[in-house]
Amino acid sequence: MLTLILLVLLVSMALALLRAVKGPTVYDRILAANAFSTKTVLLITALGFLVGEAEYYIDIALMYTLVGFIATVAVLKVSEFGNLGQSGAVRSTPAEQSHK
Amino acid sequence: MKDNVVLRVVTKIIVPVILVFSLYVQFHGDYGPGGGFQAGVIFAAGFILYALVFGVEAIDRVFSAATLRIMTALGLLLFAGVGFWSLIGGERYLDYDALAQEPLVGQHLGIFLVELGVGITVAAVMITVFVAFAGRTPD
Repeated sequence: MLTLILLVLLVSMALALLRAVKGPTVYDRILAANAFSTKTVLLITALGFLVGEAEYYIDIALMYTLVGFIATVAVLKVSEFGNLGQSGAVRSTPAEQSHK
Repeated sequence: MKDNVVLRVVTKIIVPVILVFSLYVQFHGDYGPGGGFQAGVIFAAGFILYALVFGVEAIDRVFSAATLRIMTALGLLLFAGVGFWSLIGGERYLDYDALAQEPLVGQHLGIFLVELGVGITVAAVMITVFVAFAGRTPD
């Protein structure tokens, strides 16, 4: 049963990857990548139950969830604003920053 | 990105969870998956998420450039200090048996301090790298 779940998850991950490669717009790609990371979390958890050491694998899955969220936010920010650091308008010049 | 209310609220909720999880990975590393390096990276990831939403200047309020430099050196000093402590105790470098009367207690204390040093250094270096990349202003 768990092996079947793993197979179904792998197939759906392949479909998400296909959408990420083909996706006409950047939002399709980001959404596909996000779905891929969610399915990876499910895959890790199912694998943990298959191996029989679920308590270790759930820790890793939790970690993957948090990092996947941060990665999605970062990619969205770069695609929307073109930079990682500034929250709004650029305030200081590089010369001022080097004096800090 | 500060004006996006969903992102702002979710970030404020999730950042403490990430930090607590990093401490769990740090101090539970003897019994489960984890350790100093992973905990340091997760700890830095929490601050990176905050900086993504509220701007990289927000990190300056907690970790200024000077604080990060001191933390980088402090973790390394802790690591090397444990090694020299065991040398003073009459054992080889990083042989934790010398740290306490009981070898088991010494092993626990040694791995705890060494992993703590690794965690502090890795967290500081990761935040430094992010600030160095994201703090640049476009020409």
